[in-house]
Amino acid sequence: MWTYFLRRLLYNVPVFIGILLLVMVALRVRDPVYAYLGKNASADTIEAKREEFGLTRPFILATPMESQFGSFVVQVFTLDFSDDSWDHPGETVGDILGRCIGPSLALSIPALVLTTVISVIISVVAASFRGRLIDQSLVIAAVIGMSVSFLVYIIFGQYWGAYLLPEITGYKPFAINGYTHPSETTWWEYITYHWPHHCLLPVLISVIVAMGYDTRFYRAVMVEESGRDYITTARAKGASQIQVMFGHMLKNAMIPIITRVVITIPFLIMGSFLLETYFTIPGMGRQLILAVEHADFPVVQAFTAVLAAIYILANLLTDVLYALVDPRVRLS
Amino acid sequence: MTDETHSRSLQKFLRHRPALLSLSIILLYGATAAVLIFSSVMTMEHTLEPVAAFNLPGFSRQCMPEKRLRDVERSFRRIEVALRRRNPIEQLKSVTAGSLVLASHDPAYLQSRLDQVDGIIDRLYGYEDLDQIVQDSAQDASAILDQLNELESVATELFTLAEGRTEAGRRFRLLLGTDKQGRSILLRAIWSVRVAILVGFVTGMVSVVFGTALGLVAGYFGGWIDHAVNWLYSTFASIPNIVLLIVLSFAFDGGEFDDLLNRWTGNFARKIIGVPVQETLIPVFIAFCATYWIGPCRVIRGEALKLRELEYVQAAQVLGYGRIRILLRHMLPNVAHLMLINFSLLFIGAIKSEVILSYLGLGVKKGPSWGIMIKQSGQEVINGFYWQIGAATVFMLVLVLAFNILSDAVQDILDPRHVG
Repeated sequence: MWTYFLRRLLYNVPVFIGILLLVMVALRVRDPVYAYLGKNASADTIEAKREEFGLTRPFILATPMESQFGSFVVQVFTLDFSDDSWDHPGETVGDILGRCIGPSLALSIPALVLTTVISVIISVVAASFRGRLIDQSLVIAAVIGMSVSFLVYIIFGQYWGAYLLPEITGYKPFAINGYTHPSETTWWEYITYHWPHHCLLPVLISVIVAMGYDTRFYRAVMVEESGRDYITTARAKGASQIQVMFGHMLKNAMIPIITRVVITIPFLIMGSFLLETYFTIPGMGRQLILAVEHADFPVVQAFTAVLAAIYILANLLTDVLYALVDPRVRLS
Repeated sequence: MTDETHSRSLQKFLRHRPALLSLSIILLYGATAAVLIFSSVMTMEHTLEPVAAFNLPGFSRQCMPEKRLRDVERSFRRIEVALRRRNPIEQLKSVTAGSLVLASHDPAYLQSRLDQVDGIIDRLYGYEDLDQIVQDSAQDASAILDQLNELESVATELFTLAEGRTEAGRRFRLLLGTDKQGRSILLRAIWSVRVAILVGFVTGMVSVVFGTALGLVAGYFGGWIDHAVNWLYSTFASIPNIVLLIVLSFAFDGGEFDDLLNRWTGNFARKIIGVPVQETLIPVFIAFCATYWIGPCRVIRGEALKLRELEYVQAAQVLGYGRIRILLRHMLPNVAHLMLINFSLLFIGAIKSEVILSYLGLGVKKGPSWGIMIKQSGQEVINGFYWQIGAATVFMLVLVLAFNILSDAVQDILDPRHVG
């Protein structure tokens, strides 16, 4: 098990270095200092800033600590995010990262869990009523749901949840924007009031958007699985419908489900970018977009590296989960 | 695949009615886009000029009285302002109300008409809340609506169509109403078809061709080529694609990339494209292609690994055919169905991502697209105006739905083993 994990980890090191190279090259296509300081800056100021951030060093052909690429790779691997942000003077990239990662997780993890649980349950129901009205209408609803833009869900979700609902009921459950860090209140208050107030609506929107894709996929998996011999055997020995569905079938459908969960992570990141921007939740996605707008070069560079690392770790986690669920994987 | 299986697939397809319907819808969109790209029936300027008052509903539905009053008042105010200038006759010529221009009346006549309507306007403004009153009492409603109609008929009398315009054209533009700058929603939605089809087609095509080439070569040759391709796509696949899109659009933003390109190519790029690169869709194409080739590459590499071991490929090798010939004549036709399926999946993906990217301000920079329309309509929805978001959503829904149905059908027919 551990050797398997280590092998996967080592395999991902060159991939991650490749990503850093790609991102750094892409970020240097336009002069970052010029983009930040604008057209009116004098040549001297630009040169000084460039010198200060080490952008005058050779990009790759030098010893690791002297080249831009080498030193950034070393920085990332030693988790050294002490560069100063250009746009937020006085704050290091690490500070910004630290305050952004919480809100992002508060949004994305509940969304991932809820989406998976709800769509697996719906798909099991659909598969067990296969071909009947309930199944067909779920399939049609899923295809239509997939064809509407994420933005439309967000706009109408916010309109109904945060505007019409208070108008009709007089009770205001959801905020339109903003976020309260758990450190500003007690944890109890955060979980019972602040989190639902700021994050529940975006999470629900994200669940609804993802549900179309996920139920469709899980249903296909369940339908495939329900035609197998072991299901017939289980039925023959007298297991109830519920037992067959959730005991036998779901367990065997675990592998495609895990794969799917990981495939949805990029969509989830995309979704949190949009939701964070629309609901002004100060997470990583919104911060990255702001940093791009303000040409805050160190933040863009570090955030993309961190997001890629998170993504690679998530992939690694799947590999491990695979190996746990299916012993055959470890051998191959 | 033999000819027989080809025709069997085709027959299956022709019997699949939803798929045929979807295909014709897609072709209709494609034809619209082709007309917009290759002819000058409609240009981007058409989508930018105001045609009437802002936020008018579509299908000639009337607004609430309060807004009608304000809209009609605004066109009278324009005349009034022009009349007060030093040379009213000259000034009057440039008075417009959307795409309408002021008919040639002499200033004295116009002044008399204005005096007449001023009274009505003042009386109507005397009411506390027009919308509420019209809703509540039928008696007041008819009086108010009569006065509004009178105002509007005076406006119609004073304003006329500009030279070379037709009433049908004006009605067409107003069919789905106007946005908050008075621009035609229908024209904007139609122009966006061009953007969507361009983005979908170009990125789908380039990504599939590039991904297939790499995937086939990697799968067939194996060895270090396979390792290199594997590393390349793992690398690209391990960046969340929104992050890559954001980084790339950051790279293309500003003029530096354009300068660089023109320096490399000796201004050749500028001559061909005509405008700076960052104002075209090219950055969007590059960003999408950079993330989208991974899917087809992975699938086709897997398939090529399988095909390589099949008897017919081995037979071709034994017969002494060149590797290129085996790749192109023997393997490529057998992954064609996967290319088709991937193309339609990428097409949908590109259209939807374009909308999201444009919303984030990183996609289409000039002219409308569905994403930009949806972005603008966020504020309108709160004010209860749904025409713009509705138009963009429906236009997009129909196309994406058709593509979803078509790609499902194609997948069922050509690749029945596939799950999901």
